[in-house]
Amino acid sequence: MNHLPFENWLLNDISVTPEQQRELELHLRDCSYCSALAETGRMLKTARIVTPVPGFTARFQARLAERKIVDRRRRLWGSVLFTLGGLALLMWIFAPYIVSFFAAPATWISVVVGWLVFLGTTLFALFDAGRVILSVIPNFLPPFAWMVLLSMLAGTGLLWSVSIWRFAQRGVPQGV
Amino acid sequence: MNDESAWIFQAQQGSDEAFSQLVETYQKPVYNLCYRMLGEPEAAEDAAQETFLRAYQNLHRYDNARPFGTWILSIAAHYCIDRLRKRRFSVFSMDAEDDDGMAFEIPDPASPDPEAESAKQEDRDRLHLLLKDLDETDRAAVIMRYWYDYSEVEIAQSLNLTVSAVKSRLHRSRRALAEMWQVEKSRAYPERRSRESLAF
Repeated sequence: MNHLPFENWLLNDISVTPEQQRELELHLRDCSYCSALAETGRMLKTARIVTPVPGFTARFQARLAERKIVDRRRRLWGSVLFTLGGLALLMWIFAPYIVSFFAAPATWISVVVGWLVFLGTTLFALFDAGRVILSVIPNFLPPFAWMVLLSMLAGTGLLWSVSIWRFAQRGVPQGV
Repeated sequence: MNDESAWIFQAQQGSDEAFSQLVETYQKPVYNLCYRMLGEPEAAEDAAQETFLRAYQNLHRYDNARPFGTWILSIAAHYCIDRLRKRRFSVFSMDAEDDDGMAFEIPDPASPDPEAESAKQEDRDRLHLLLKDLDETDRAAVIMRYWYDYSEVEIAQSLNLTVSAVKSRLHRSRRALAEMWQVEKSRAYPERRSRESLAF
């Protein structure tokens, strides 16, 4: 049996003219499928809203309070375990060094002092080299190169500011 | 700013009282959706409570441009779909419960024809039994369409589907329901059918 256009009317809840309504009723008398479609549609549209047992909000508040306590407890235990785990890991890593330090403290102290001296002298050397380079380079660069460099820096700064402003205006899109 | 927007804003700032107002306002639609999806009052209560808890925890992610009702119902629908996928429920006793969640309804003797009313009620219960045979997402789409009058666009937003996918899911579900209804009816009223066929 040809269900068109009746199936389309029923599926899309299209409002029909009185003439079309008569045609539809005639078709429904003969077509059990379209009749079932109309019947189920009617039932779905007249189904009512079921409400919860009174006191839903109070039960929610109790559940929320309970969940907060559980979360707080979980966070506390999490941080305790994390700290203890971290300490255990550090102990495991540094245990051989600590043992050897207490076995021969003088050797360790001389090694550490040697490293500190090396670090200090290296930093001084780097500062000196940097100062020399900065005093020499400006003589090699032509003025237009300085202009290009400064314009690029200004452009980057502007782009960065505009991006920050746009994110602040619109916000970052987020889903559920 | 209306009451609801104010509650949402205050709840986002950490006011539990404001969030309770939102729970009070949306408890019925959320519970009804969960009930229609899961089919059991206890499961529906649990799912509705969990929906509000999830909403509470994710309130900072709520997009103010979207209606709050759509947002919370989409959380409920996704939660119920996940739950149904994990363990497939099958007990459905629908539409006959009173406000205390009771799953029975005595036909009103004061109505013009109690027998006809009772038959209509039975038909409706059977229809809801058929709902459980639909795919979880299809069921959610049908519930949103017919219980909440959601447009196809709103359903698409809530269930993360395209509008054409929603249309085709709704059509497929309606067709499936009609076919199951035909089978169910012929099983339920064989004598009526035989009498009808004799009349021709």
